[in-house]
Amino acid sequence: MKTLKYFIQTAFLLSLILMIFDSCKTSLAIKEKTGSVLWSENCSRCHYSPDPEEYNDAQWDVIAMHMRVRTNLTQEESEKITRFLQDAN
Amino acid sequence: MKTKLILIAFFISGINLLQAQDSTQAQIQSIKDEIAIIKKPVQTHFMLRGFTQFGFDASDENINFNMTSFNPVLLWRHGDRFLIEAELEMEYMSNQFEINLGYANASYIVTKGLVVRAGKFLIPFGTFGERFHPSWVNKFASQPLGFGHDGIAPSGDLGIEVRGGFQLGSSKLNYSLYAVNGPRIKDGTEEPEEAGMLMFKNETENNNNKAIGTRIGILPLSNSSLEIGLSAYYAAPGSSHSPFEGDPLNEDLNYENVTAMLTAVDLSYVKIISPLMGIIDIKGQYSLSNISNAVYYNPEDTSRYTFTNESSAYYVQMAYRPALAENQILKNFEIAGRYSAYTTPVGSLWADNKSQITVGLNYWLSWRTVIKANYQINESSMSGGHGMSTMTGGNGSMFQLHIAAGF
Ligand code: HEC
Repeated sequence: MKTLKYFIQTAFLLSLILMIFDSCKTSLAIKEKTGSVLWSENCSRCHYSPDPEEYNDAQWDVIAMHMRVRTNLTQEESEKITRFLQDAN
Repeated sequence: MKTKLILIAFFISGINLLQAQDSTQAQIQSIKDEIAIIKKPVQTHFMLRGFTQFGFDASDENINFNMTSFNPVLLWRHGDRFLIEAELEMEYMSNQFEINLGYANASYIVTKGLVVRAGKFLIPFGTFGERFHPSWVNKFASQPLGFGHDGIAPSGDLGIEVRGGFQLGSSKLNYSLYAVNGPRIKDGTEEPEEAGMLMFKNETENNNNKAIGTRIGILPLSNSSLEIGLSAYYAAPGSSHSPFEGDPLNEDLNYENVTAMLTAVDLSYVKIISPLMGIIDIKGQYSLSNISNAVYYNPEDTSRYTFTNESSAYYVQMAYRPALAENQILKNFEIAGRYSAYTTPVGSLWADNKSQITVGLNYWLSWRTVIKANYQINESSMSGGHGMSTMTGGNGSMFQLHIAAGF
């Protein structure tokens, strides 16, 4: 139980510090972000991200849907990122 | 006469030229048609991919070559809303080959923030199982304590799930809610030393009670670098019949009313830090399992016993890769460290207090191919009688050199 307490406290403290840090910068909502920004922010959270040239348009369609379902990305993010990857490959 | 001949020759070659032009045009047209057919957006796409990891483990006692995973993955997308994913898990370790179905499910995107999924899927209890377990994603050659065989939490199960993500101002929220077959409680009839443990691999359901669970993830920062998740999972793992039916001594022992409540907190923070010329990656998960008290039978000394059936497991890890360095070699190196611990109930025959420190040096050959060199120190108090291998616990240290590749 003690460990849980420490873990939560540390996680909380860390996120608090980061939030304060982050609020110093102007934060943009998804609507105002480009596909390439959303790609760089979201696609390397779990694994290193493949370059757009790694796959063709049809493959990106499959991967985008797979990642949207697996990672619970919003529809808007997923669509913008897919368009970016398909334009840049 | 000569001019006439020349004129005729010109005429003939002119016709030839026109014909040649015509046939070139026809050829170009047919190539164009073919390209159009290829480029035509089709409804159905297949993709075969997967990942593998192999290498050797050197402990105080032995050196072993292992193939810890060879997992083909099949993806099939139909239209804009329908996806099927399936994964086979193959493992060849200590001269034993095992094959399992990792997942096989269908997802349907209903609306913006709602996906319905059915079949066998990875359970979003915390994040390790669903997001970080593939060998090319996991920064270490091994899994943290508490995952995998005899782990604290489920990895995959059969059922139905709704999930999705949406925006909340400049933050994001995602959710998942599911009902699955759920675990079975080990009553000690088969493995007395594991009585009271949950068995998540439970293909033949032993009761009508489904397990239900949820995970809520919050990404408070607008750059999505931080995610904190809370998970809960509730199950009634006992069967309505006594496992000792026909045994007059123990027939009264029944696990019908046993309940299990599992909770977890997870955290992930990944960010490029320019002054550090690289990427910092922090991950962690704390899982807690609370199973209601029950009386178990020990056939060794024919005694009955009970204990507070509470287990916990956690891991914290951190990795740094100087990805912004100019040097082409240096930028592919990554250093990583992980601490994990797993405590099983005092008073049970599987009581243990394990901890593990892993340090690693990775070299990334591509975004999904990595050479991992790990040094791991394991400690175990082992007060119960349950034996564990060095892979999952035990005492002593181990060196691992593995290569992991996605394909
Ligand atoms: C929350 C974690 C997470 C995030 C965020 C994420 N991925 Fe993945 N990704 C995974 C996991 C886990 C797999 C492996 C799936 C498996 O094999 O079961 C994967 C697999 C892949 C693959 C291999 C092909 C496939 O579909 O399995 C590609 C390509 C990929 N991701 C690209 C992306 C892109 C592009 C994004 C950004 C939109 C992204 N990922 C965001 C976790 C994530």
